[in-house]
Amino acid sequence: MAKTALHVDHVARVEGHGNIHVVIEDGRVKTCEMNVTEPARLFESMVRGRVFDDVPYVASRVCGICSSSHVITSLKAIESIFGVQVSDRTNALRELLAYGSYLQNHATHLFVFAAPDFLGMGSVFPLAEIDRGLYDKALALKALGNELCTEVGGRSVHPITAVVGGFTHEPPRETFLALADKLDEAVAFAVSAVDLFKSFEVPDIRMSGDFLAMQADGRYPVCDSDEALFVRSGKRFDAADVENVIEEYEMSHSGALFARCRDTQDAYMTGALARVNASWSNLCHTAKVAAAKVGLRPPERNPYMNNVAQAVELVDVLEHCARLCRELAAGEGNLSASSAPVPYQVRAGVGVGFTEAPRGALFHRLELDEEGRVVTASILTPTAQNLASMEADMRAVVEKLVDEGCSADAIRLEVEKLVRAYDPCFSCSVH
Amino acid sequence: MSNSVFNGGGERVAPRVVVVGLASCFGCQLQVTNAEQYLLDVLGQIDLRYWQLASDDPMPEEFDVAIIEGAVTNEEAERTVRLLRERASKVIVIGACANTAGIPGMAAEGFFQRPSQVYDRVPKACGNMLSPRPVDAVIPVDYRVRACPIDPYDFIDVLQRALYGSNKSYASATMCGECKRNESSCFYASGTLCLGLVTTAGCGAKCVNLGRPCNGCRGLSADANVASARAAAVRFGIDPTRFDDALRLFNQTNPALAEED
Repeated sequence: MAKTALHVDHVARVEGHGNIHVVIEDGRVKTCEMNVTEPARLFESMVRGRVFDDVPYVASRVCGICSSSHVITSLKAIESIFGVQVSDRTNALRELLAYGSYLQNHATHLFVFAAPDFLGMGSVFPLAEIDRGLYDKALALKALGNELCTEVGGRSVHPITAVVGGFTHEPPRETFLALADKLDEAVAFAVSAVDLFKSFEVPDIRMSGDFLAMQADGRYPVCDSDEALFVRSGKRFDAADVENVIEEYEMSHSGALFARCRDTQDAYMTGALARVNASWSNLCHTAKVAAAKVGLRPPERNPYMNNVAQAVELVDVLEHCARLCRELAAGEGNLSASSAPVPYQVRAGVGVGFTEAPRGALFHRLELDEEGRVVTASILTPTAQNLASMEADMRAVVEKLVDEGCSADAIRLEVEKLVRAYDPCFSCSVH
Repeated sequence: MSNSVFNGGGERVAPRVVVVGLASCFGCQLQVTNAEQYLLDVLGQIDLRYWQLASDDPMPEEFDVAIIEGAVTNEEAERTVRLLRERASKVIVIGACANTAGIPGMAAEGFFQRPSQVYDRVPKACGNMLSPRPVDAVIPVDYRVRACPIDPYDFIDVLQRALYGSNKSYASATMCGECKRNESSCFYASGTLCLGLVTTAGCGAKCVNLGRPCNGCRGLSADANVASARAAAVRFGIDPTRFDDALRLFNQTNPALAEED
């Protein structure tokens, strides 16, 4: 049998630039590479010497879609160095901001990036002709995420109002109440999206690596815990130890560094599927029911199920944020305190910020001098962490499809679907 | 140059448009999709031939309008923008990265020492890296949508002008006029550095309205008097080094600042 080479240059419908490179020789997979072809964007170098309050502003520009997460992660790193305790109201607003980007990200990824593969389309736009109702509702969900980010952060991309210690601006009470109603109204469509994505056929593969997600007792945390969990090995660690636990390494075929668990040398996946596996029992009621109905329960190890997990998270986010908006409007108890920035003292030190960005665990490690200027910075993005697992799963799916005698075109399509299921952001990965 | 909205027989045809992303966060392309409710109206006026973020279709040989996001940071990107200029009758650059080299431009100073601060060995996949530069450092551009990120409606406005023609010139005034019209108080009153003094107006002073000073994302205004602005900042107690540091956030590669030094 001859040699078959599958190349996809500039994978479409993902953020950033990446090529897929697979070589099959005599029915065996010889090469299976995810080439991140963007050069490093040098963020870690650019923030050196800059004052601390530039860091969230600059780091936000790592990624257009999870800019809120980069801002909050940087703020957490800085606040841990200065010993700043923000109010519960600030934490609630940050959660809304982070969740707004979940709505944007998941709706964009599921409908604009992933769905066309399963519907046999090159892009989402033909959907407007075929099923205008679905197109409109999908884009309305994305718009609702933008609206949430805009009301809380000042605009849909690169939030303005979130600063060290709190927020410079907050929307009025009526805005929270109006948002809560809109979020409630969108739940039914999100539930139907869970069913829709479960109905799409995907290869039956099991990932060999681990899962990494934020963890907290009795909650589905996204930005207010410092504990991380490797779901399969059961290893827990504090975000401050991230450099000791996670190892980054270079691959010559990728502009982005890869990552693995230092102890086990295991590749791992982070993102919606990892979170659902880690905190399934803490999903909101409607989300849990929707997940159970389609059989998404831990441990779910098929990486294609990340699409379904994102749809389940859409339901969870809507229900959770509607409640949060009503609580912020009421402003009672622990949410009665102001979100205005609390005073703080600049001091030298090292701090790690950790959040669950829409695409998975995000870590910022900052070292500041006495004037609050950056000495060193290190950013670990979800996509960089996912690359090793993505390559291993690509190999698994190619081997399976070669055994089944599938055509090169069919294999290429399934590999592209797999890469998109991971919801990669290559431009993030080369920060 | 022929008006691309009409063919030779005077019949209206949709202009063929390509959207290309270079080094960036992709946020400006996302902002285009963030005009959700008007997106189909916009797409209805054009023949969208290539948009890697949204579609599988490969880059075509012929098109009329090229929309470019991102800064030029390697030789492949430089070749891409030259090719786009050869083929397109109109080039629109969107976002700070394409307009001023933006945040990627921060790396321009001491550029060749920087990769070794990130990699032990620079991977082959990076291609031949170039010091970051805006698109107009490589090719002439026809239309600009400024800011980081762009405003979706600002984009639609500029696209209309590119499609249908316009002799409207760009406002080059600085941001301070917008705060005066908004009747908002000035950050300098509390001794806080704000780049509204020298930054191209046009966003309505969005950040100031939300309680944050201007970071200059719309780029240095052609009318800016940097020396005078710096002196004014110093009068309000700002360290001149802080002023220059702040200015370099979005204007690192601006030749006007190099001349000033």
